[in-house]
Amino acid sequence: MIVGEQKPISEIREIIAPYRRVLVLGCGTCVKTCFAGGEDETAVMASALRLSLKKDGLAGDIREWTVERQCEDEFIQEAARPAAECDAILSLACGAGVQMVARRFPDKPVLPGVNTTFIGVLEERGLFTEECAGCGQCKLALFGAVCPIARCAKKLLNGPCGGSRDGRCEVNPDTACAWHLIIERLTALGQLDNLRAYVPPTDWRTSLSGGPRKLIREDHRI
Amino acid sequence: MKYHISVFYCVNSFDASMLDRLPFKDRVVFKPVKMACSSMVKDVYLLRAFEADADAVVVLVCPEGHCRYVEGNLRAAKRIDWLRRLLDEIGIGGVRLVLCHASSGRANAAGACFESMLTMLEAEGFSPARSRWGAGAASDQRRNGKPQR
Repeated sequence: MIVGEQKPISEIREIIAPYRRVLVLGCGTCVKTCFAGGEDETAVMASALRLSLKKDGLAGDIREWTVERQCEDEFIQEAARPAAECDAILSLACGAGVQMVARRFPDKPVLPGVNTTFIGVLEERGLFTEECAGCGQCKLALFGAVCPIARCAKKLLNGPCGGSRDGRCEVNPDTACAWHLIIERLTALGQLDNLRAYVPPTDWRTSLSGGPRKLIREDHRI
Repeated sequence: MKYHISVFYCVNSFDASMLDRLPFKDRVVFKPVKMACSSMVKDVYLLRAFEADADAVVVLVCPEGHCRYVEGNLRAAKRIDWLRRLLDEIGIGGVRLVLCHASSGRANAAGACFESMLTMLEAEGFSPARSRWGAGAASDQRRNGKPQR
């Protein structure tokens, strides 16, 4: 899932300050799972903003609505009526959702309420970790499904740096050494010989570093 | 003017009829909300209590280790910790939201909690988001060092 984190209330207050009627628009997919922008979080954000405005004696009309996904137009259309009644939309979706909503409602300012951070997983209750960097050249088959691009601080492809201690990364001891995990996993699978093959440097042209990417599926285009 | 205190209580921890027997009930308007378990308390319900002009919100939960649903009171405690930080960020004040452990066999615990809450309100005053108070009025009401009634 895409993982994001809500912006602080003070920052959101600054962002919405020029607008009187604001629609807080939630998304029921990725940001719901990471508790940043689902229906519950949208209700909390709208209530928090109303309280904040009330405390300052400011007139403001904060409304709330949640759609299933903000990255697909057919779902965004469901918010057409509440969007028409507002001066601006505060989207709690990831950056992609914010931009898609802006395309659907070009006459409305669409503002971000979430900082989109990474592609990750729910490792345990309340803990989300980054797992994929979207490099566009997945080599997880070689590394026993542990990604050294996303999870190694140095993005090493041909073995550990040797600086880890007790399986923790020397750059950030809060994280596990990805190469420690790779070697454990390949050993368990009996595939440690995978590491004998030299892996050339990553060609970053297929990642975001090569510019915004596009996927075209002609078999789905009519 | 009376303080408004919303009381979210687990039915296994508290009997709401106690609110009528509190000594300071003439200074407070209580709004009780009963729950089958304190884990039913959601952040948005507590925030909406403040939107509805609550000066304080008390959440009464079973003592640790005594939740009949095992971890309901633990979940409630985590949510309330998070929400107190949000209330501080908004500027309402996290001190206005309190979690108390109570049980039918420990009526004094709830009573002590309400007394403590009243003491806090005497110091902090009415909620700055309360409808009849606009911007600046919160400081006006404290000009004499105590809330105006």
